[in-house]
Amino acid sequence: MAESRRRVVVTGMAMVTPLGGDLERTWQAAKEGRSGVDYITRFDASTFPTRIAAEVKNFSLANYIPDGHERYGSAGLNAQLALAATAMLLESARLDISRLDPYRVGVYLGAGEGHQDLVTFMRLLRRAYQDGRIETPVFNAGAVAELDPVNELEQSPNMAAVHVAGFAGARGPNSNCLTACAASNQAIGEAVQLVRSGVADVMLSGGAHSMIHPLGVTGFNLLTALSTRNDEPTKASRPFDLGRDGFVLGEGAGMVVLEELEHALRRGATIHGEVIGYGLSADAFRLTDPHEDGRGAVQAMVHALRDAGLRPEDIDYINAHGTSTREGDAVETLAIKKVFGDYAYKVPVSSTKSMMGHLIAAAGVVEFILCLLAIRDGIIPPTINLETPDPECDLDYVPNEARAADVRIALSNSFGFGGQNACLIVRRFDG
Amino acid sequence: MSDQGRRVLITGLGIVSPLGCDLQSVWEQLSAGRSGIRRIEAFDPEGLPSQIAGEVIGYSARKYVDRQQRKALKVMCRDTLLAIGAARMALEDAGLLEWAGLDRERTGVVFGATMMSSELEELAEAAVACHDEQGQFSLKLWGERSIPTMPPLWMLKYLPNMPACHVSILYDLQGPNNTITMEEAASNLAFAEAMRIIQRGDADVMLAGGAESNVHPLRMARLCLLGDISTRNDDPAGACRPFDRDHCGLVAGEGAAVVVLESEEHARRRGARVYAELSGEAATCVANADRSWQVAVEAIAEVIRRALASAGADPEDIGFYNAHGNGSVVADRVEAAALREALGSKAGGVPVVPFKSHFGSAGTACGALEFVAGVLGLQHGQAPPSAAYREPDPECGLDVVHGEPRPLAVRSFLSVNFDRVGQCAALFVRAVGD
Repeated sequence: MAESRRRVVVTGMAMVTPLGGDLERTWQAAKEGRSGVDYITRFDASTFPTRIAAEVKNFSLANYIPDGHERYGSAGLNAQLALAATAMLLESARLDISRLDPYRVGVYLGAGEGHQDLVTFMRLLRRAYQDGRIETPVFNAGAVAELDPVNELEQSPNMAAVHVAGFAGARGPNSNCLTACAASNQAIGEAVQLVRSGVADVMLSGGAHSMIHPLGVTGFNLLTALSTRNDEPTKASRPFDLGRDGFVLGEGAGMVVLEELEHALRRGATIHGEVIGYGLSADAFRLTDPHEDGRGAVQAMVHALRDAGLRPEDIDYINAHGTSTREGDAVETLAIKKVFGDYAYKVPVSSTKSMMGHLIAAAGVVEFILCLLAIRDGIIPPTINLETPDPECDLDYVPNEARAADVRIALSNSFGFGGQNACLIVRRFDG
Repeated sequence: MSDQGRRVLITGLGIVSPLGCDLQSVWEQLSAGRSGIRRIEAFDPEGLPSQIAGEVIGYSARKYVDRQQRKALKVMCRDTLLAIGAARMALEDAGLLEWAGLDRERTGVVFGATMMSSELEELAEAAVACHDEQGQFSLKLWGERSIPTMPPLWMLKYLPNMPACHVSILYDLQGPNNTITMEEAASNLAFAEAMRIIQRGDADVMLAGGAESNVHPLRMARLCLLGDISTRNDDPAGACRPFDRDHCGLVAGEGAAVVVLESEEHARRRGARVYAELSGEAATCVANADRSWQVAVEAIAEVIRRALASAGADPEDIGFYNAHGNGSVVADRVEAAALREALGSKAGGVPVVPFKSHFGSAGTACGALEFVAGVLGLQHGQAPPSAAYREPDPECGLDVVHGEPRPLAVRSFLSVNFDRVGQCAALFVRAVGD
């Protein structure tokens, strides 16, 4: 089945993460096992149950797009992060879309939703709340008078994709998906399918997300999903460790160029790897919890292996979803054992969320790129803060220090709130 | 060039709309050219420039959920509640609801949806608690006093992926599951993605659709702020008049529609009733930096050409054009110009049906509602008349079906939707055997 289809290679990659403003700085920090988690500075979180997060430090779009960044001044943070990554991406991929058929170059992102202007929203609501009920005429008139139309438009979850397309000059299929924490893996997978099916030759794909805003932290705190280890920020994200108590919010963006192989070879592009497997599934179980048998995670990994035409033993490294939640890490471990059998104990598995927190919709693409870098440099990034083993999590998680290893093929897992699962398999390109 | 994979057939339809919540009522209203646009009833719309919408009246999601699953209704907001009714109808219509042969690992869901707005009442106490005695907002007070007033699952109720997730949970559908968040292009993109998933063999059956409600004070205020909205509050049924001389802006809407897409082989094997074939799709984007409705004509023209090519169809093969047509003067004229550019001299001969005149603009769900309406048209061999259309806008110069349903010379339609920043998606559907 796989022989006749169009092959899809990665010819560019870029990211902006809590570990660094670009790919090489992020990679250096990941190899050193540094944590990007610290106290929240974006807003006053001093009375929130969680006061820590992994922020992108000193982010300014002007550093990435010196000429013309003003055009995107009113864009939301998700779109700005995506644009910063895209600017570096086009540079690194030496991709000039004006020389191609722009309708065969598309964009597919898993970029997050923005958020309501909380201060204005609360003022409007408070004013409208009279005698124990919301007087909607009061709210309506206030909203129309006081909300900022540009902000309302820019917070929509389609905007990052349109800004990226406009910046790059890509006129082909343009899409954005949101499947919580699986979004950018799924975006990459579907973008690969668009190239395989012949609809596009080049896709710019990836994602961007920041939920480090008051309503984001509130929402996750209400779900009791976040770590509250506020006195030790750098120790808070501890996937697979017995003392884990929830995930740590991160933020950032990652972008890749996915290109049909012959197209890439013709233009002499640098090829970082080939996407050979994509697997999808739904837990169809509960909104907040993974299926206790890990059935969705198992199916997604099995489908990705089948798509790639591989046996489990062919995988040299697994970048785990590994969010540092009690149940999630245990179920992922179980699922890996079900798919990999005895080999589960031999294959290195690491969670880079231990260092950069959880980038939610953007997590998948950043971890996908880390897999490509592991292949490139023969180094597996570690799971930091793994101090006390959890008997339920007994695999080789590459604890605390990066490891030299010959990685030819890597698997990247992403599992979303609500049960969507997306796995990608990437292989070193050797012709 | 394009995927020569399996054919994808339409075998089930479900709709929750301002014109009704079953196929027969919806078709009766459509073929009579009636509009579902009324003064908003869900809340007092006073204070909004536009106080009318295509609102779903008298819908109860409880009817569509088995008793033991009803507690899940509490964590669903309006968009999701609309979706689960449409999904159940589609499964039932396809004969899949009780069918023991359904392989749930090979059945998935792809919807268009967007970030939903919190019910205002849920945040009322929080809004009071976060203001100090001088009436100043304080994040410290928010953290201390507001967060504890909110329901634990508050955020999950409003995430865009919730309609697709709840449907997968209600029916144990373990196949590919995705949510496309591309405003008015979202549902068309969702249908196209579901089609590719079946073509490449990752699923046999996909529920494709969309769900959105704009009948919410914050969403209405937002639409009013974005502009191009009709304020013809004294004539709701005549407020949305796409391509008409008196068009004056879009009208908000809400609804959900879900379609069962199925590989031909799977449908034939189980003897499914087949409505039509989803035979082509395309998507384009010409980013529109000035943020107006002036979406480049070129992007829409190109999406039309590419969708036809994808279906192997010529302009003569278009039974009717299922328009974006939202009633905005600028958007209508841009779309008309694009149709003329793509089809040349053939454009004037294509019957045009703007279903937003019946439903209003239900954002990410509009493509799904219009898809189901279009398939009903194919089933009855008629293009239903536009609601409220009287006199042509001479600058549009299109043959808009109005007055009476028009018998179809060719049983097919081309559906186009686009959003205000330049994202476009098109689908081509034809009756099987034609």
